[in-house]
Amino acid sequence: MKAWIKNLTKQQLLIVTLIAVCFISSIIFVNHNHEFYDRPIGKITNTVQTDKAETVDQHQNQDYMVTQEITAEVQNGSNKGKMIEITNEYFESQAVDQAFDTGDEVFVTIDESTSTGTIEDVKRDKYLILVAWIFIIILLAIGKKQGTLSVISLAVNAGILSLALDIYLQNSDLSLMVICGISIVLFTVISLLLVSGFNEKTYTAIVATLLGTLSSLLIAYFALFVTGEQGLRYEEMSFLSRNPQIVFMAGLLIGSLGAVMDIAITLSSSIFELYHKNNNIKLSIIKKAGLEIGKDIMGTTTNILFFAYVSGSIPMLLLYFKNESAFGFTLSTNLSMELARALAGGIGIVLTIPITIYTSIFFIKRKQAKQ
Amino acid sequence: MSALFVLAIILFVLMAIVGGKKGIKSFIAFIINFFVLITVILIMNDPNGDPVLLTLLACIVISAVSLFFINEVNSKTTLAFLSTIITIVLLLLFIIFITEESMIQGFGEEESDSIYYFSLQIGLDFVKIATAVIIMSTIGAIVDTAISITSPMREIHQQNPTISRMELFLTGIRIGKDILGTSTNTLFFAFFGGYMALLIWFKDLSYSFGEIINSKVFSDEMITIFTAGMGVAIVIPIASGMTAYYLVRRKQKHKA
Repeated sequence: MKAWIKNLTKQQLLIVTLIAVCFISSIIFVNHNHEFYDRPIGKITNTVQTDKAETVDQHQNQDYMVTQEITAEVQNGSNKGKMIEITNEYFESQAVDQAFDTGDEVFVTIDESTSTGTIEDVKRDKYLILVAWIFIIILLAIGKKQGTLSVISLAVNAGILSLALDIYLQNSDLSLMVICGISIVLFTVISLLLVSGFNEKTYTAIVATLLGTLSSLLIAYFALFVTGEQGLRYEEMSFLSRNPQIVFMAGLLIGSLGAVMDIAITLSSSIFELYHKNNNIKLSIIKKAGLEIGKDIMGTTTNILFFAYVSGSIPMLLLYFKNESAFGFTLSTNLSMELARALAGGIGIVLTIPITIYTSIFFIKRKQAKQ
Repeated sequence: MSALFVLAIILFVLMAIVGGKKGIKSFIAFIINFFVLITVILIMNDPNGDPVLLTLLACIVISAVSLFFINEVNSKTTLAFLSTIITIVLLLLFIIFITEESMIQGFGEEESDSIYYFSLQIGLDFVKIATAVIIMSTIGAIVDTAISITSPMREIHQQNPTISRMELFLTGIRIGKDILGTSTNTLFFAFFGGYMALLIWFKDLSYSFGEIINSKVFSDEMITIFTAGMGVAIVIPIASGMTAYYLVRRKQKHKA
């Protein structure tokens, strides 16, 4: 440990200290921020299980219903310090309800006359901050500069997305597709510049990403148009407050953007490396080498999208199956949107391979002509 | 004709044109992975099984399909496979802890509209299922990062057989750092795209900042993004270390 500290430069030491201070102070803050909430928060001081009964539902699923008597101390507001009694009932599978332990903090509504309360939600901010910090620290420790840049890229892109949605919601006359298009250009330029700096391979990747995204949009539109969107269950999308088609399309484009950028920058870096090793390299060799790399990465990249999209549906699929819903109905209801997204993303990924190769060749040709 | 079918055909044709034989294999792997996932979900229906253990098995099958079927069994795919499994196990320990503590399992109140006519007393363990979901969302990205490190490392070792174990390890870390940015971006945007509807929902119903960050669905999705990012980062030293260890030791044996 001592040797490790000695090896650090002053600047590194400063950064490590700064991160440590931010980490510790934010953890302390998030564990003592009760006064910042309007909703009353209770900290559970004691739980007693008063009843546990076996239940069987209409589909012969066995479960247990448990009743807990909970004592909690109010942490904020006018009732601060007061002890309240809460009765909590939950099924052991905990699909929407929850078992509580001593030490858990929960948002409650309080009935002052009887000193009883009801649990509304769990205070999850401290876990969120903890996980965010572990993520940041791991990325910085392993990735150093590049790790820092990916944390910044995540923060900036999340900010842009939030801002873009605000603008969309406040100006309902602006179409989501227009806002989405502008955001996509911003996302691409910022992320790729952060990942690989100001140079020709980045510019190539930016052009290729935008062309790749545009062509996958056109193909997805075409596929949906010729089939009349048959088999897509828009009505089953969760959290809908707007026109589902538009929200779906926007999500599709932004969702595949990261993968398309990944392909574009991987290919353009390798191609420009070949060019820098040999400025007079034949374009046919570049084309062949690019295709070889593309073949290697398209399978695994498509898989990233597939698992990131489809895994989220697992709890809902299980709920349907356990309620004896038909197999085909369950799959089409819950997976059609996710599969469409994964397939369209895959199309974008594959299209970006030749697009990046030809964009790189276009730039290299110009350079070779200048020589 | 269903839109999904048409999209699948387009994807197949493009993969075959651009990727040739390997492209067709990639498409078949996509289909196989889909069936593996469905099979796993069907087995999860049995209340006596452990969803976490089952997911671990599924991850082994999925990585094997993605690595050994699309490519072939050789030292780079085997090393990528082993690093993926070690990473998944390490990540699993953390995820089990965090899903247990943060209570993000099951369905949020925002989803109550779509589940109100279902029986929820179904005897499954939704806490373990939440762990399974997070691991499953990340597996594709971890496999991708692992193979992107072991493959050029073997290349470098072949061109430069005298390289020391430490040098080879550091080369692996350098390669890993270069792809860290793009791999995490791939995941971030995949999740952003999936959460568009949720974000619009929060804004439309003017949730307060405190309500958003404490809500089950938002915490769940943020924790998934962060753990996925961690997975992509920790596979870098694991894959570099294992590859350096294995390749350099093997060379010494040859000498003897």
